[in-house]
Amino acid sequence: MRVQTAFNLQAGRSGPGAARVGIGGPVGSGKTALIEALIPVLQQRGIDFAVVTNDLVTKEDAERLRRSGLIDPARVTAVEAGACPHTVIREDPTLNIAAGDDLEARFPGIELILFESGGDNLASTFSLDLVDWWIFVIDVAGGDDIPRKKGPGLLRCDLLVVNKVDLAPYVGVNIDRMLEEARAVRSGRAVIPTNVRGGFGIEEVADAISASVLFRV
Amino acid sequence: MLFPCIRSDSPLSIMAKRQVGNLRRITLMLRIECVLGSRVEPELSEQLHRLEHRGAVDIVTIPVVDLARRRLLITTSGGEELAIALPRHQKLFDGAVLLLEKERAIVVRAATERWLRLEPRSLSDAIELGYQAGNLHWRVRFEGGVLLVALEGRPEDYLARLEGLIESGRVGAGVIEQAVDHEAAPFAEHGHPHSRPPGHGH
Ligand SMILES: Nc1nc2c(ncn2[C@@H]2O[C@H](COP(=O)(O)OP(=O)(O)O)[C@@H](O)[C@H]2O)c(=O)[nH]1
Ligand SMILES: [Mg+2]
Repeated sequence: MRVQTAFNLQAGRSGPGAARVGIGGPVGSGKTALIEALIPVLQQRGIDFAVVTNDLVTKEDAERLRRSGLIDPARVTAVEAGACPHTVIREDPTLNIAAGDDLEARFPGIELILFESGGDNLASTFSLDLVDWWIFVIDVAGGDDIPRKKGPGLLRCDLLVVNKVDLAPYVGVNIDRMLEEARAVRSGRAVIPTNVRGGFGIEEVADAISASVLFRV
Repeated sequence: MLFPCIRSDSPLSIMAKRQVGNLRRITLMLRIECVLGSRVEPELSEQLHRLEHRGAVDIVTIPVVDLARRRLLITTSGGEELAIALPRHQKLFDGAVLLLEKERAIVVRAATERWLRLEPRSLSDAIELGYQAGNLHWRVRFEGGVLLVALEGRPEDYLARLEGLIESGRVGAGVIEQAVDHEAAPFAEHGHPHSRPPGHGH
């Protein structure tokens, strides 16, 4: 074991590097808001992390996070996705992979990198070349029929977050039934309800990330 | 520096608390940080063969969709819990050797894959099926006049996406199971398993 450790130190890049987690979902479902809420929770847990955002042709989400005062601005990288946000997380994630490599080089020992996808439709999925594990965020205000539409993003993600549960009464959504249907179409795989603005469900999301890719429970 | 990590006799283990119901139980996970090579590499196969005779080769069966992951928590047939975290230039594959010690080894086995077998009745049905499957980004294989779609979920969810084509009988559907080709696992050179074209097999 001593040999292995020494070797890893020498080789520098030979360790597994940071865990990479994707956060996808439709525009406005609360992906950036979820990251904003996760930042203090991850910091409190002593997890060394950084964020990569994907926007169409701007760096708005990155700027929003950098200005938030929550995180060292150097730990937020923007990738401009161009016309099709799903392309840079699935068909050709090269730009995002490079952004992750760059963060690993600049912050040795970094444990976790979050990739926010530029908002897309229900079909978007992440390439496992880019991320180890990914979250799909939908929101209650988008309608309780979303789980029944069975988009690939919602079916295949490792964790489905149903956000804005605080809005359910205002948009006539039966949240229990929506969650039940989501769990049914996902054959029982993880679904977590959140109210990101009210800070509800954030610890559970952080727990899921820690357990699944950082192997900490 | 031929191998990204040393074939160590004492693997790195990590302690982790796992939640089980209301109890917090301490489990010993075995942390795997590299693939040592393929079980068919001469250097490894000889040692594996010796261990096999003593029943000391533990198998970890991994669903084909999860082979693309670099981080994975999974339990071997022998009940060992593995926390796999591979460097980005390595990948899991059928026959990947994860641990090789004097007394034991752990080798990956790809779980059997289920395929949806779709048989279009006419050329125009085939064109439409191909268009739809492409649009849905399904992982497919071609076998003559048949399209095979890798199932990563319930078959009915796939069929529902093909709307009219199935109900109208324009495309026939069935499910087949197929073991991954175990005799020809890819060779690992400098940690890079050569990817094999899908559809290669018997
Ligand atoms: N009421 C409510 N609003 C939320 C919640 N989460 C996010 N929002 C709001 O939804 C809007 C879109 O959020 P944003 O994080 O930018 O979405 P993104 O496009 O997925 O990154 C913002 O105005 C947020 O303040 C929530 O849990 N409840
Ligand atoms: Mg955003």
